[in-house]
Amino acid sequence: MERREFVKKVGLTAAGSAAFPYILPSGRLFAKTNAELADHVIYVLFAGGVRQQESVLQQYLSGSQGVDIGGNIMYNMFNGTAPDKKIVYGTTPTNEPTGSLPIPKLLTNTLQSQGLLFPEVEAVNGGHYGGLNSLLTGSRSTAQGLKVRPNSPTIFEYLRRHRGFKASDVWFVGSGIGNSFPLLNSSNHEMYGTEYGANFVAPSITFGNEGLDVLSNAKVYHPDEELEPIQKMREFLNNSFRIKNGEVQGIRNGEDEKENIKKFVREMFTKKQTGGLARPPAGSSGDLNTLAYAAEVMKYFKPKITVVNLTNVDGCHGNFSGYLRSLHRADHGVGWLWDYIQKEIPEMAGKTIMLATPECGRNLNPNPIQDENDWYGYDHSGDANTRRVWSLMAGPNVPSNMIVGSESNQIGLTTDNVLTVADIFGVKDAVLNAGFVNPGSKSLFDRI
Amino acid sequence: MRIFKNKYLIIIGVAIISLASCKKDVIATYDVNDVDIEDKSLIKDRSKSNKQFISILYTTLHQKAISSNQLIRTERVIESFGDKALINEVIVSNYMNNGNVVMPTNDEMRTDLDSFITDTYKLFFVRIPTEIEKAFFVNYIEANPNITPELVYTAFASADEYQFY
Repeated sequence: MERREFVKKVGLTAAGSAAFPYILPSGRLFAKTNAELADHVIYVLFAGGVRQQESVLQQYLSGSQGVDIGGNIMYNMFNGTAPDKKIVYGTTPTNEPTGSLPIPKLLTNTLQSQGLLFPEVEAVNGGHYGGLNSLLTGSRSTAQGLKVRPNSPTIFEYLRRHRGFKASDVWFVGSGIGNSFPLLNSSNHEMYGTEYGANFVAPSITFGNEGLDVLSNAKVYHPDEELEPIQKMREFLNNSFRIKNGEVQGIRNGEDEKENIKKFVREMFTKKQTGGLARPPAGSSGDLNTLAYAAEVMKYFKPKITVVNLTNVDGCHGNFSGYLRSLHRADHGVGWLWDYIQKEIPEMAGKTIMLATPECGRNLNPNPIQDENDWYGYDHSGDANTRRVWSLMAGPNVPSNMIVGSESNQIGLTTDNVLTVADIFGVKDAVLNAGFVNPGSKSLFDRI
Repeated sequence: MRIFKNKYLIIIGVAIISLASCKKDVIATYDVNDVDIEDKSLIKDRSKSNKQFISILYTTLHQKAISSNQLIRTERVIESFGDKALINEVIVSNYMNNGNVVMPTNDEMRTDLDSFITDTYKLFFVRIPTEIEKAFFVNYIEANPNITPELVYTAFASADEYQFY
């Protein structure tokens, strides 16, 4: 081969290698390396700050208030017997003490017995936003500011870019719009960013009174006679604008996806008016409302990944009894959601892995604020106890009834979850190769 | 020797022709004002905040200001949804359905399409349409009897350019 020909061939090969990943229609940068473990993932950010003592360690009041009563108030998620005295975590029957009636157990077999529990995991960040960032980006988020999008790519972006999921395959159901939650559906990373972000919805507002006022009277346009001309005129306007100003950034659904989401929004208002919304038996306020709408999102779109964020347990700062009630309800809601998927969404039943982890723990020692039972509240200001959480996973290809680690043997990081989800969808290597995940993180499957 | 003589003659001839043809360009003026051929009003690189978008949209469509209570509620709803373009379309469509939008009738639109299009560009984009833009809309609306001012307004209000200033 002549030198000129050799140089030409090498040049062409190099150019082809550099360009090829970007021209794949899915936008995938690296080849898929693993087999998929499940078709769908529901990832519960069991957030708000959960102490090990009242959750996985099942100490009820003995680990916090100096009252020697232990027991498990999360009996849909964890194995263990419920407390039998001083019950304040349940619902309130008429003329009975507040919270004195425990919510009946929903799952015949707990998620722990159906799956894999890491009872002692290190939370890499002790704050809400930093903690949620680490659960969604797999990075330590040490330089993460508030009121800005995550610095590192989120699991949504990894999956959309490397696995080729479309926008409506990827949902983030938030508990509200405070604490920068709406910014967590995408990073601002130049290699990923909003182009690969998730659909975000905060149901308490979108489908609450404000949404009812602003969205529920939306017109339904005839698809051919009205909608198509609107879309054509808008396309012309957008093309004219794009020529001068470039591509407009933001989470973007395709035209068909958009119309489908609008239909979903209409359906939610109709169901709300007719009482047809999915609801956990114990009610529909706070976190239970968020979980109920997450179920509606899953039933309608069958997303590849649905992330749902809970927050009510953060009331522990000033109301320990309320914290116990929120914890008990969150367990009820998660159990209900799992049951709902298996019974009401046949396309996802038996094909979905659920993963749940708190974003941070809470302090070992209380603050001085006492509640109606004279019990002290707990903050999360960064002591060692704040860095202790758990991870629970169940579904196809997840070992059942297995515990990895113990109170004296911490195994796992909260940053493992991004790699775990990437592993489930067969793109773990692509995510690792991107180089933004906290060093030392592993897929939970690799920690077994 | 004769060859050298001819060579000198050729060089001198070329030099004379070159000097004679090196004339400075005369800039002609025709008493016409200079006009920028690039429309700077088309360059909008600052994104409207949710608050700005809603108050401008409401005023554009209703010809009156939005109440502060309604502004806050609408802003929160926009924040509660990830795809801003999508949720803005739903809000526009909600306004269209409440019957209070001020816009020309279908007859008024079709009587003078040129003016309607220019006015619509000015109303939503605060600029004059280019000839290409005007031609597109004239042709498109004339060819489609189903198109109403409402559909045109909806397209403009949900277009990318309306998100910027």
